[in-house]
Amino acid sequence: MLSVRIGFSPLNDAALVVLAEALGFYSAEGLDVSLSREANWSNIRDKLSYGLLDGAHVLATLPLARGLGLGPAIGHIIAPMALGANGNSVVISSKLKEVFEGLGASTLLESARALRLVIQHRRAVSEGKVTLAIPFNYSPHHFVLRHWLAAGGIDPDRQVQWVVLPPSRMADHLRDGVIDGFCSGSPWPQMAELNGDGVVLFSDPAFWTLKPEKVLALRGVWAEEHPEAAVALTRALLRAGQWAIDPAHADELALILSREAYVRAPLEAIQAALAPGGAGLILDPQTATFPWISHAKWFIGQFVRWGLTEGSHDFDAIARRVYRPDLWRQAAAPLGLSLPVEDEKDEGGADAPWMLPAAPDPVLMPPNTLFDGGVFRVRRP
Amino acid sequence: MNVLIIDPDDARAALVAEGLRLDDSLHGATLHIWPRFELARLSEINPDMVIIACESPDRDTLDALQIAHEHAPRPVAMFVDRSDANTTAQALEAGVAAYVVDGYAPNRVASILSVAAHRFNLMQTLRHDLSKARADLAARKTIDRAKGVLMTSRGIGEEEAYRLMRKHAMDSGRPIAAIAEDILAISDLLKKRDDGC
Repeated sequence: MLSVRIGFSPLNDAALVVLAEALGFYSAEGLDVSLSREANWSNIRDKLSYGLLDGAHVLATLPLARGLGLGPAIGHIIAPMALGANGNSVVISSKLKEVFEGLGASTLLESARALRLVIQHRRAVSEGKVTLAIPFNYSPHHFVLRHWLAAGGIDPDRQVQWVVLPPSRMADHLRDGVIDGFCSGSPWPQMAELNGDGVVLFSDPAFWTLKPEKVLALRGVWAEEHPEAAVALTRALLRAGQWAIDPAHADELALILSREAYVRAPLEAIQAALAPGGAGLILDPQTATFPWISHAKWFIGQFVRWGLTEGSHDFDAIARRVYRPDLWRQAAAPLGLSLPVEDEKDEGGADAPWMLPAAPDPVLMPPNTLFDGGVFRVRRP
Repeated sequence: MNVLIIDPDDARAALVAEGLRLDDSLHGATLHIWPRFELARLSEINPDMVIIACESPDRDTLDALQIAHEHAPRPVAMFVDRSDANTTAQALEAGVAAYVVDGYAPNRVASILSVAAHRFNLMQTLRHDLSKARADLAARKTIDRAKGVLMTSRGIGEEEAYRLMRKHAMDSGRPIAAIAEDILAISDLLKKRDDGC
């Protein structure tokens, strides 16, 4: 069996990666996978670059940042599948929550506008800037928060102080008043809430019902040398997804995640995040793991929008070099999954379930909407 | 030159600092050790270079400073040795990374990183040796106690007791410490029955 080293970050959305080990899907696909629990994203990025890992559970933005030439890493990284959708939550201090409630802010748009008033007030009384924490600069978390703030008329560059913190330290900083809020993958937000350190303001689905978040990243050189293993690995994770969507497996899923070797967090917090109304993590291989080129382009657009890269990139070429729907189709076909006909779709604007053209059968997709009604359209010739 | 070492492992940080002090090319460098990275205190030290243990959860905070920040107006970038990719790779394998502020003195940075990586490996070897020594000592104690049990229960001498255990170990193909553990476990069991519960 081929030895494969896979890194992951201790988060609920590493579910497919850890389930495939716990339930034996890797060995069923002929792979001898050893998992490596990593303490930070920089490590995963560098280990992938220098060949100390062959693949990893990563922020969708990480291989794209590499594709855009950002950061110190060397070597190409590809993404043959998404590891589900959603899973993050935004947590704010109870003090801020009270202010929002006092202003009658209940929707995302209203809370962003309320935060704008807080920012203006603080400046008027010469208090410090509103400070928000994210786990990594090039992260979906960063883009979600910025998009949300901008919708409320806040300039995320000048009116907010950003700080990168490990999720394990975010709740402490919030309790101590060092930061006003944070965005993190589960179960950290739910743990913060259970411990009374802060309140969940919103989770991913309220921002974007089917928000892309983590992908399987493979070292480009490794995938070229082991094309069959790259597909087998993807298939093992899709099979883990098929297991995970069975409601009868919900308790076992939470128990496996809570293990010492995996997320190593209290079961109660993990379950709170996975429960309806929690962080909204979707692991359905059919509707939430296809590496949509339109997702990659949305993210690249965010890098440009927020001045993290110059705008002169060929979006389509970069997206297609990194995201590899062709590998997903090879992996998914023998599992009885339907294969999307196209690599891109409109993101946003679908308020109700809709039919996705796919073969052999069209797929009933969940709603795909953003809180501000925005639509990221595929440019069709 | 100001060097900041960030490592949640105190003993290892001290070992790295010692290695850097012994290095002639680093004469006059000021070393600081923090168990965790505190952004707000960075200006107190104003380091030219930061060495960080890869297992530190704070590494992403440091890594993010390549984009200007209120507390770090000078850009901080991970050090990647372009002339010798092995230096960076070996350091990562040892579990340590280096960051330079404002592109500080690259030739010295590479040698500092090499020393740090060497010390990280040394620490791992020391820890491994220590745990092996502890295990050996524990095994010897177990064997001595089992020998005592055999001497009392069978009325034999020390040498004979040891010979019996060794023979059993050889016949069953198991380590003598494992045989000793079995003897102790069974003698405990017998003792409890004697207590007459």
